[in-house]
Amino acid sequence: MLSGLLLLGATLPAEGAMKRGFNRLLDAVVRIDVREVEYDSGTRRFSAGVGSGVILDANGLILTNAHVASPNAVEINVTLASLERVGARLVGWDHWTDLAVLQLDQSEVSRRRLTFAHAAFGDSTKLHPGQTVYAVGTPHGLTRTVTRGIISNTRRYFADAQGVRGYETGSFNTWLQTDAAINPGNSGGPLVTEDGEVIGINSRSYLGADNLSFAIPADVARRIMAGLVRDGVIRRSYIGLVPGALQDLEGFYALELNTGLLINSVDTGSPAARAGLRGGDILLAIDGRPVDGRFPEQLPAIQNLIASQPVGATLKLAYRRGTENREGAVMTEPLESRVGEPWAFEKWGLSVRSVSRTYARENQLAAAAGLIVIGVQAGYPAAVAGLARGDIITKIDGQPITSLDEARQAYAAYEAKPAPTLVETSRNHRVSLYVLKP
Amino acid sequence: MIRLRLAFLSLALAVAAGLSAQSPDRQALWAERVNCVVAIEFFTETELDRRPTEVFGVVADDAGTIIFPAAAVNPRVTASQLKDFRVYLPGTPVTAYFAATYLGPDEYTGWHFIRVEEKARPRLVPVTRFARPGNPAPAIAEELWGIGLRKKDEDFAPFFLSSRVAIIQRLPQRTAVLAQDVAGQGMPVFDATGGFVGLTVGGFGQTFVQYSARDRGGLPVVMVNPDESSAVTLAEEVLPHLGRVPQNPEGRPLAWLGANGLEPLDPEVAAFMKLGGQTGLVVSEVLEGSPAEKAGLRERDIILTFAGAPLPLYKPDRVVAAYLDREIDRRRPGDTVTLGVLRGDQRMEITATLEDAPTLPREAERRYFDFVGLTVRAFTYADGAVRRAKLASHRGVIAHFVKANAPASTAGLRMDDWIKEIDGVPVADFAGAAAQLAAIEADRARSEFVVLVDRGGETAVLRVKLK
Repeated sequence: MLSGLLLLGATLPAEGAMKRGFNRLLDAVVRIDVREVEYDSGTRRFSAGVGSGVILDANGLILTNAHVASPNAVEINVTLASLERVGARLVGWDHWTDLAVLQLDQSEVSRRRLTFAHAAFGDSTKLHPGQTVYAVGTPHGLTRTVTRGIISNTRRYFADAQGVRGYETGSFNTWLQTDAAINPGNSGGPLVTEDGEVIGINSRSYLGADNLSFAIPADVARRIMAGLVRDGVIRRSYIGLVPGALQDLEGFYALELNTGLLINSVDTGSPAARAGLRGGDILLAIDGRPVDGRFPEQLPAIQNLIASQPVGATLKLAYRRGTENREGAVMTEPLESRVGEPWAFEKWGLSVRSVSRTYARENQLAAAAGLIVIGVQAGYPAAVAGLARGDIITKIDGQPITSLDEARQAYAAYEAKPAPTLVETSRNHRVSLYVLKP
Repeated sequence: MIRLRLAFLSLALAVAAGLSAQSPDRQALWAERVNCVVAIEFFTETELDRRPTEVFGVVADDAGTIIFPAAAVNPRVTASQLKDFRVYLPGTPVTAYFAATYLGPDEYTGWHFIRVEEKARPRLVPVTRFARPGNPAPAIAEELWGIGLRKKDEDFAPFFLSSRVAIIQRLPQRTAVLAQDVAGQGMPVFDATGGFVGLTVGGFGQTFVQYSARDRGGLPVVMVNPDESSAVTLAEEVLPHLGRVPQNPEGRPLAWLGANGLEPLDPEVAAFMKLGGQTGLVVSEVLEGSPAEKAGLRERDIILTFAGAPLPLYKPDRVVAAYLDREIDRRRPGDTVTLGVLRGDQRMEITATLEDAPTLPREAERRYFDFVGLTVRAFTYADGAVRRAKLASHRGVIAHFVKANAPASTAGLRMDDWIKEIDGVPVADFAGAAAQLAAIEADRARSEFVVLVDRGGETAVLRVKLK
């Protein structure tokens, strides 16, 4: 009884500090309403979504998910803990880590004399499975909902080629897994410790499963946030290696354990392919730094090591082919998403995306040129002519279309003087012609 | 034998009795014409099983030649996998059947040919016996009739079907579509006087809309009757070709041009290009090393004429692609074809000499490794073409079959993977790969081997655990 009281007495000040930290965190969590433009129906349409976010500095910088706020956002409104709504702008996004940074409209904040708290990052590398954590956010629009759970896994690996609105995610980071209830609308909200330190940004859950949810660790989020604030984008390098875990193949390749990264595939035409690397080679070192890709969980760090080299840098790769050790040099190129830039040519009722290198490679196209049709509007010239989703526009009026700009020029000419326009497409390598009639 | 014949007669009489009320001489026509159709059963031997197929055949001549439709044979299987052809006479107990030999496919007509053993031949009547002079086409609304066959458990009993002609189209063969099913798949159709009108063709689905009480929107459902058909390829398209008996089970030689993805011009595009009411075919791909390439045909050329004549106009427009394919199939390697093409604004003539087509996947050498659970087959020209791989890279083998839950499938190998390396050694050809896999399978001390496969242009190293 006594000892119990004593204990209680001893914990009181600490609990008080924790409570203060947690309350401060609660005051830094915001609801984010986004209105954005969509291109995929042959025209420009607007849609709305709700997510969460956390304010991380006194200037109103907010961290959220890339799948909450993307460059397609046309209007972002943030609801503060005080229930006041204030406008915000997108500072930058990074779909690879599913992170985006917003900033509150500072002139509006000062004009209306709005106040808000800001939270601080914790150290996500010190977490342990079983540790209690809390998720704070706006699940299904229910503002300021706190749920509790534990860290289920500190180093979950999964990469998803179309995980963030069709964009790639997960190649360069591992994830925190938690059983704190995370539902649609929690996205972008913080995962925090009992004392309110932000140790992750909640991102996704398995739908239909019981509380298998994932967050971007704070150590990744801190680095990406700094990069987005500084440059507006995260620049990554690409050399064209598709890695695999060596896991038990060391014997076959006559390697010491914990040595090397299996190269499953080398992208056609990539820097690594030009340097002579190919699938089945083992990458041993990058610029003299040995790599260890024995387990899948180790791959993101190696991918990130390559990605974080400056674009245009020359990397020395040591690799093994069969029993022979070789060396090669690659010059890094900018990493690109497989998702090209979208646009809608509204008078044609035609939505397109530019063909990316990855898309061209995946579809065995000769070059990353042309525009993929992503939507047509019924009754408009493109649909009437017979164009359909999945066609690749290769020429307009006899002129090769390699970029969105060339198509914009052709469209501008059509807008100025509407006339029948000949469009050449390719679909499954079959070439067809269509006439767009005004 | 006598018992069989009695059984057959009794059935024919029963059917005839049902008919006598409407058309007194049709029972005689029926009894005669039932002898030009048979039921065929054969077995497709795969790595794991022996699958029976039942299909209907038509007697082509007095030498026991019988044809059946293309769809009955899976295009992935080789002729040597087709076993044990049996011919059943309609309505005769299935315990008595005749053996037949597989002769091969004919690319042009799409028919497969078999030859039944001699003792069956006196009981068969070639369909040519019922041909009418000049093969006149039926008239719209004319009533036609044909024969259907029940399934094996009913001794393939023949039954009567009739319907009226609804429309006649060129697809590109002249084809009559009737209001309802008029005969079994691939079976003959006759007019009121018993004259041969044509053979039914499959694949004519009818679209229905399915409504439910809850979902009032309704879903379109295409219904295809696999047993009977309402579309008839007319006699003029059938009779001249019954003599195209393949020279070998592979159906060689096969005339080959090598211009792929022939896409018909939309009439709006033809008008825009001022082609004067003509149509054209856009050449999507010219295959490496093909006769088309040697003749100088290029991708995006638009073919306007063939053999000196403008391409015919069809409805639907895309039928013209089938027309050109058939014109090539009809010819032989060594024949020359002249194409009039439009390249940019320039018109030109291109003369190509057809060649025998490169080895097809169905002809490629293959071998099954039961312990690994994998059939590999030789890499063919067509495998390279679909993967857009240059001729110089045509090495390796194809995973033709991967057995479920065996080492190869557990390792992640999938059907149609392109195996480029085995145990770090590049696969040069089929013989090399087969020898290597045989050695791996024979070595029971082996615990694993490693393959490098290419799937969709991306490679992966797979470890096949044997223990």
